[in-house]
Amino acid sequence: MTGANAVRQVFGFFSFLGRKTGKTRVFAILGLIPVALAVIVRIVLHGRSGLMAAVFTEVLMVFFLQFYIVILALFYGTSVTAEEIENRTLTYLITRPIPKPAIILGKATAYAVLMFAMVGVSLALSFFIMNAARLSDPDLYATFFRYLGVLGLGILAYTAFFTFLGTVLKRAIIVGMVFGFGWENVIQYFPGSTQKLSIVHYLKSLLPYHPPSVGGGGGRGVALLLFRLEPTTPLAAILILAAVTAGLLALACWLFRVKEYLYED
Amino acid sequence: MTAVIAASHLSKWYGNVLGLNDVSLEIEEGITGLLGPNGAGKSTFMKLITGQMKPAIGSVTIRGRKAWNDPDVYQGIGFCPEQDVFYEDVTGWELVTGLLRFYGYSRTEIRERAARALDVVDLTADKDRLIRGYSRGMRQRVKFAQTIAHDPDILILDEPLSGLDPLGKRKLIKLIKDFKKQGRTVLVSSHVLPEIEALTSQIVLIHQGKILAQGDVPFIRELIEAHPHQISVRSSDPRALAARFVGERSIQKMTFGADGRTLVVETHKRDAFFSRLTGVVLEAGIAVEEISSPDDNLQAVFEYLVGK
Repeated sequence: MTGANAVRQVFGFFSFLGRKTGKTRVFAILGLIPVALAVIVRIVLHGRSGLMAAVFTEVLMVFFLQFYIVILALFYGTSVTAEEIENRTLTYLITRPIPKPAIILGKATAYAVLMFAMVGVSLALSFFIMNAARLSDPDLYATFFRYLGVLGLGILAYTAFFTFLGTVLKRAIIVGMVFGFGWENVIQYFPGSTQKLSIVHYLKSLLPYHPPSVGGGGGRGVALLLFRLEPTTPLAAILILAAVTAGLLALACWLFRVKEYLYED
Repeated sequence: MTAVIAASHLSKWYGNVLGLNDVSLEIEEGITGLLGPNGAGKSTFMKLITGQMKPAIGSVTIRGRKAWNDPDVYQGIGFCPEQDVFYEDVTGWELVTGLLRFYGYSRTEIRERAARALDVVDLTADKDRLIRGYSRGMRQRVKFAQTIAHDPDILILDEPLSGLDPLGKRKLIKLIKDFKKQGRTVLVSSHVLPEIEALTSQIVLIHQGKILAQGDVPFIRELIEAHPHQISVRSSDPRALAARFVGERSIQKMTFGADGRTLVVETHKRDAFFSRLTGVVLEAGIAVEEISSPDDNLQAVFEYLVGK
């Protein structure tokens, strides 16, 4: 079987398997939180658009960017290798006539698509409920797709990172939590080039941003949440995120191929 | 005949623990039984053959190709792991069809092969039930179904009979023997001698990571016969019983149990002792309450062979 076909078969197997796990149900329910928030805000706003809708849309993005996609990628990414070892099901995969890297690529891609579907549904529902008064505004859709694209890139980069972590470490989830909710949350607010050592910095660099001093318009009360110091240009941010994703996945594939995984007895 | 599986000076460590020690072995077509107590190195050997582990020293080849990291080798191997583990949220059908995807078959062929394999293990009626709801025997059978579904030339079966009821065992033994008739190679491990004996006459004895002996059943039996057996006889008058056996040349040692009712005999010729015991009991009118063999297990035989 060719490598590409093997990746496709692994992708198909784990797309199916991923949808059936309890983990997916739990995270799908978690994705209803912003939807519920959007409904509440809409009721409070009594159908008005403008300032508050913009403010809460940014709050939603903080939830998606700094919590939802990170926790999804953490659990799904580390599980690409770790759950197979913990559940001892790795045997069923590595005794098949498929290259080992295909297991990593196929499974990570399947989980990334699953995460993107969960995030996409949750974002679409909450975003359009929140901005229901502006549904005829074409700019709204442009903003939505931009948000969706940024979250998609975030899912890819974080999944690659946590997949790599899972192939290296036995207790990857703990280190992953420290990275995802510690390092990523703190380092992005550091001045200078240090912040460029976080994934979220590049994601935020792709988001629309209106600094508090400009215009004094909507959403500025939460500007700190999406605060950007010395943003990277959009093109550079996309290239760096793509390089991080490809590099870490390549490393994970290489490690998975050469490393021997033993079950704990 | 060319060896299908060949191990040369194969060693494997788990940290400081030796899993396999300088094993050189050639396995040919037909059924070979890998017999050894728990922790002997059977699973380690099988994991090395199936490419799940990398040899620390030496090599293992399948039809001349190294087993580690060569996916093409796995096309012709069916592996049945010892562990009772599965993707629990899928049905038996979904598991078998899902794993068949990795062999490059068309959808129709996947369905046909899965249906055939599940039928062979009598799981057709339960194929749409979640594996987490399967009994131990059913789980063992679905594990065997995924092993044979792609029609492999070589079957590596790690304790395949454990967890099966007597009927299930008999059926699986017949199935494995059918594989042999088709000219395939089967390596099957067990820590239970009668199970292996029911499958094959070719046995490899493994203990503490070393191959102790290799040969056919009579040869292994001979080794076992040479092992002095302990037989415990609880009776109404153990001393009278002992007096009758003092002159027997087959008896090496006799001791009395702490309960005052048990005679423990050590003999090289177990069968001769048992036939003599019947006569003695009848002649002397001693009431025998219980006969047991405290060391009549594989572990004792291995310990004896290692000590030898």
